[in-house]
Amino acid sequence: MNNSEHKLKSNKEPRPPKACGWMAEFENEHDLLHAAEKVRDAGYTKTDAFTPFPVHGIDHALGIKPTILPFIVLCAGLTGLCTALLMQWWMNGVDYKYIISGKPFGITPASIPVSFELTILFSAFTSVLGMLALNGLPKFSNPVFTSAKFDRATNDRFFLYVDATDKYYNRESVRELLSSVDANSLDEVMEDSTPSEMPRAILLGALLLVLAGLIPSAIVLNMRSSFSDLPRWHVFFDMDFQPKKKPQQTTTIFKDGRSMRPQVPGTISRGQLEQQDPFYLGYDPMKVTSLDTDKQIYVSAVDSTAASPSLDATVQPPAASPAGGAPNLPFLDKLPIEANEENIKLGKTKYEIYCSACHGYAGFGDGLVAKRAASLAQDTWAPPSSLHLDRVQKQPVGQIFHTISKGQGKMASYASSITPQERWSIVLYVKALQRSRNANIDDVPVEQRGSLTEPTPSQTK
Amino acid sequence: MSSKYDLETIELPAVWRSLKPIFFAAGLILLAGGAFLSLFARGADGSTDAAFRFFMHSYLANFMFVMTIALGALFFILIQFVSRAGWSTSIRRIAELIMTTIPFLALMFLPIIAILFANYNAPYEWNVPAEVHSSVIKAKIDVGYLTKEWFSIRATVYFALWIFMAFYFFGHSRKQDETGDVEHSLARQKWAGPCIMLFSLSVSFAAFDWVMSIDADWFSTIFGVYVFAAGMMAFFATTILISMALQNAGKLRAFVSVEHFHDMGKFMFGFIMFWSYIAFSQLLLYWYGNIPEETYWYQVRLNDGWQYLAYGLIPLHFAIPFLGTLSRHVRRNRFGLTFWACWALAVHWLDMTFLVMPNAGAPSFMPIFGHLLGGIGMLMVFLSFFLVRASNVPLVPMKDPRLPEALTYANPLL
Amino acid sequence: MASISSSYNPREIDNTGDIPGRRAPLITGNQTYTSVTEMVCRVAEDPQPRLWWILFGFSSLTATTFLMLIVFLIYKGVGIWGNMSPVFWAWPIVNFVFWVGIGHAGTLISAILFLFRQNWRTSINRAAEAMTIFAVICAGIYPGIHVGRAWLAFWLLPYPSLNLWMWPQFRSPLLWDVFAVGTYASTSLVFWYMGMIPDLATYRDRSKSPLRRFIYGLLCLGWTGSSRHWLVYEKAYTLLAALAAPLVLSVHTVVSFDFAVSQLPGWHTTIFPPYFVAGAIFSGFAMVVTLLVPMRAIYKLENLITLRHLDNMNKIILATGSLVGLAYGTEFFMAWYSQNQYESFTFINRAFGPYWWAYWIMVTCNVISPQLFWFKWVRTNVVAMWVVSIFVNIGMWFERFVITVTSLSRDFLPSSWGYYNPTMYDGLMFFGSFGVFLTLFLLFCRYLPTIAISEVKGVMSASDHAEHQQAEVLAELQGKEPKHVGHAH
Repeated sequence: MNNSEHKLKSNKEPRPPKACGWMAEFENEHDLLHAAEKVRDAGYTKTDAFTPFPVHGIDHALGIKPTILPFIVLCAGLTGLCTALLMQWWMNGVDYKYIISGKPFGITPASIPVSFELTILFSAFTSVLGMLALNGLPKFSNPVFTSAKFDRATNDRFFLYVDATDKYYNRESVRELLSSVDANSLDEVMEDSTPSEMPRAILLGALLLVLAGLIPSAIVLNMRSSFSDLPRWHVFFDMDFQPKKKPQQTTTIFKDGRSMRPQVPGTISRGQLEQQDPFYLGYDPMKVTSLDTDKQIYVSAVDSTAASPSLDATVQPPAASPAGGAPNLPFLDKLPIEANEENIKLGKTKYEIYCSACHGYAGFGDGLVAKRAASLAQDTWAPPSSLHLDRVQKQPVGQIFHTISKGQGKMASYASSITPQERWSIVLYVKALQRSRNANIDDVPVEQRGSLTEPTPSQTK
Repeated sequence: MSSKYDLETIELPAVWRSLKPIFFAAGLILLAGGAFLSLFARGADGSTDAAFRFFMHSYLANFMFVMTIALGALFFILIQFVSRAGWSTSIRRIAELIMTTIPFLALMFLPIIAILFANYNAPYEWNVPAEVHSSVIKAKIDVGYLTKEWFSIRATVYFALWIFMAFYFFGHSRKQDETGDVEHSLARQKWAGPCIMLFSLSVSFAAFDWVMSIDADWFSTIFGVYVFAAGMMAFFATTILISMALQNAGKLRAFVSVEHFHDMGKFMFGFIMFWSYIAFSQLLLYWYGNIPEETYWYQVRLNDGWQYLAYGLIPLHFAIPFLGTLSRHVRRNRFGLTFWACWALAVHWLDMTFLVMPNAGAPSFMPIFGHLLGGIGMLMVFLSFFLVRASNVPLVPMKDPRLPEALTYANPLL
Repeated sequence: MASISSSYNPREIDNTGDIPGRRAPLITGNQTYTSVTEMVCRVAEDPQPRLWWILFGFSSLTATTFLMLIVFLIYKGVGIWGNMSPVFWAWPIVNFVFWVGIGHAGTLISAILFLFRQNWRTSINRAAEAMTIFAVICAGIYPGIHVGRAWLAFWLLPYPSLNLWMWPQFRSPLLWDVFAVGTYASTSLVFWYMGMIPDLATYRDRSKSPLRRFIYGLLCLGWTGSSRHWLVYEKAYTLLAALAAPLVLSVHTVVSFDFAVSQLPGWHTTIFPPYFVAGAIFSGFAMVVTLLVPMRAIYKLENLITLRHLDNMNKIILATGSLVGLAYGTEFFMAWYSQNQYESFTFINRAFGPYWWAYWIMVTCNVISPQLFWFKWVRTNVVAMWVVSIFVNIGMWFERFVITVTSLSRDFLPSSWGYYNPTMYDGLMFFGSFGVFLTLFLLFCRYLPTIAISEVKGVMSASDHAEHQQAEVLAELQGKEPKHVGHAH
């Protein structure tokens, strides 16, 4: 006996022990099984066997029913699965949506790993805790601990036990029955006379431990809900005070006392070279006279914004030019690209993709968008210009390029969609379109003139 | 004979022997019927070229349906000897007979080789380089991997390896039937390890060649494992069904007990889960990475009506059979286990359809019905092969020294 | 068992030869239930050998150094490590994956081998499970201190952090890791503990001192060995095994997702999940061999942890090592087959780039060295297998190094390429984690049952029973007079 609690028990005098039942000891598991079958056949049900390892067939021999543990575990697993799915759906799909590489919110394949893990976690803990609960463990006070003899049940002996609470229990008849089987010895099990409740000292100690464990969280909660005038503690000094300078601060390192350094002369920012090249601008910036401040302001305003200048009063050109509000810049009048077949094909493709929707395939400003807007009679709709208007025809190529790059009126900038090379190709194509509307018979090679037919009414517009 | 281990119960039922030609003929008729119905297939532009394309894909899918079962049997035999298992001895002969159908299946593969040499680009689009538009596939043809010659040589090597392994193991098993010498067991134990290495390698590459390369742009390193997992599940289902049928015909009753069915049921359950694990791993990684050259394989399978199959596999191949075979009571119940084995075999066919058929184009009723007929036909042809193998062989290795172990063991738990 | 006893030699008995039809004994030396109890309990009851004290002194010193280094790291910041751009994930992640991988053997032995009815697991499962838990503890330290502000690591749990009610991001594989490793650690712990309950009761009942009896009595929760308890216990153990088997697969799968869901060539490949799992089992078994070979010698457990156990483990090392080799090969083949220049570059760079040495150490140790286990004398020679197991441990560390560092150091932008060099702190902290591991393992040997006593006895009883039954059936099959007739079901 001398179980753990024994030395901690109070001084209360134990009452005389009561007999709990009979315990027979066996040398091996086969004898135990035979005896168990006998006891079962005699009708006893409050029986048990104590063995160092699970003896197979003992459930049948003692008439023990299968456990419902698997069913409980299945329920716990399903609970875990639902918990995980609900948690992920609510936390990431409803309450706080993260946008991660365009993946959908809510339940996705990415929710499966956590759901799987929680299913297992819930099931595993349920099987252990369920095992303990179904077995009534932990239980430190047990009649079988009362005799040192029974200690061998966890070593090399097998015990069969008939409990006194059995319906048919009779002290003498059970003793007779167990004497008839081939048992090593037979003993009466006495009640554990030591107190079965937990000693006060342990309870008190546990209570104190729990209370002590609450102290840190109580301090944190108190700090979070109160205000303090004291400066904060700097635990990580080098994180709070880092040896570095921010832009607008002073320093003693440099003569001028500024932590922010001026640019080295000749520095150019990224993309700045392109701002000096007529190929990217459509005009020659070197020819913009620096004395002409009004123009300068206008150029910088237009170049720094893609928005339509005509809608914004502050960037209105100071002197409206005759060519429909376009600035009077030194536009290129010669294409910087070669007028060959490849470029004109590229221009045609890009024109049909980007321009034809409004300006129409032939450039008359009768694209599908324009037609639809006109049919809806939108008040705010400003119809796109025909590219064959006189003023457009007179524009230098650079200006057309500039219009595509910066937009004009309602037309937005296309600089982000079309590369400069492609823009120049479009200009080339537009020029070809314009030329085609003003062609006369002299433009056709002499040998092909014979193949021309009289124009039909639809072709003469 | 007073013993319950009656030698008459380990022979094939007489009726079954006579079924061989019937199964073979009926199978071929069904295959032909399937081929006829695939004539109804039409391409997106209404062209009839799609019919041939559809039939070739259908043939490949149905071929893989039975081929994976036979490969599963081969792996099962190898792993039994690697692990020195005893429990399986009394059902091992059935697996051996399934595995020795591989030479016949090699004949069934010949039409695919023939189609390659007839310069058709179905089911393998890379076969006609002139019609290949993808630069990646062109590169694979140029480096000499995806060419009909190399493809055929590799297929020959795979089949040679499998046939050699199958007959090495089967030969020892048959010799042991006569002598009962333990040397035959020891020899197989000795070679099972190296054979498993060769098997894993060859099955992986066969899966890459035969199934993955129908979409020659696409690649997935896990693909071989996927096909292997699917085949193992189908193999256990097939063995369960054959043993059940034999017992219903009055055979093997003393040899194959509820414990064997329970164990095979566990393995089937395990491979249902393993398949799901592999399929999910592949899906998750490609879904998450979201790289076009990887996701388009799923794109093809999630459009044109194939999405019903793709999404359907989640409940049909995982959730429902998983819950269905979760309980040991179901696995120990004859009807329950038969039902789920039939289910597993059916979803294995769906799985092979999912791997192959979407590349043939959008599904329509008649050709898909023809594909189903072809599947049943292929299974019947496969069964006729099995019956040919089983006709003159005892169904239990009576003199295997591990037989007593198989006849006495019990599943204490689970 | 009897046939062996004539040639009984307490040091080594070769019980690896398994004649078909007659299983070789799992434990040697005519053991009885009493002698098994005696042999195992002796380990904790007798005074520890001098070697134990030497090892413990050394390992606890190393562990203390490690803990001090962690404090220093938290104070100074992760800058003391060699992690740099573009190799932001370096040794800490390598060490994490290394230790988690080692932590796979225990639960594999307890769960998967249990489901496959591999009775030989009973002698080694306890020590392997303990090793698993200690390895997972070592693994858990690295991500914890790698997050930078380690005192806020609890934000990884579903806790609405920063008063913003901001939840964790559940689509991140690193968060899956938290759940997977957390579940694995806690489930392995309860699995280990539950398995120990009957053996702790044995320890309790053998205790002479009241304090020991009190502590073991408390730990075993009042276990009596009641058959009614055993039945529920066995069911629970089986359920745990069935749950832990997919769990053990999922953990390294999720670890592989850390890499594989990215788009980095060399990481983004679908074979990663099963390949990582095979690698984890491989390294875990190698570590079990590394630990058990000295342990059985020090505590004279050769009769319980026999050559057959070691032989079987070595076969598993061979099988998983070859699987890992197959995966390396598949990756290389697919890099070539895909005709994708990034994939091809990554793999050529691995083998012949600046980290060629790491790659070839990995191949030598992981693929070539376990091939020695094809020879039976290597599998059954304790010194040879110990050396191979060390090589495998080294190789598996380098595998994670190769995967992490070579891929990161050569990313898509050549201008950011770099060469990673670890610092002194990287090395000391890796070394220090071994101190933690070894200290915990030595304490385990000292105080807890190192072998599952009740399970060994259960297997002894079951194999006796099976031998009887098989003899009866064999007589019947050979046409002798059958003892009983009737159908099997």
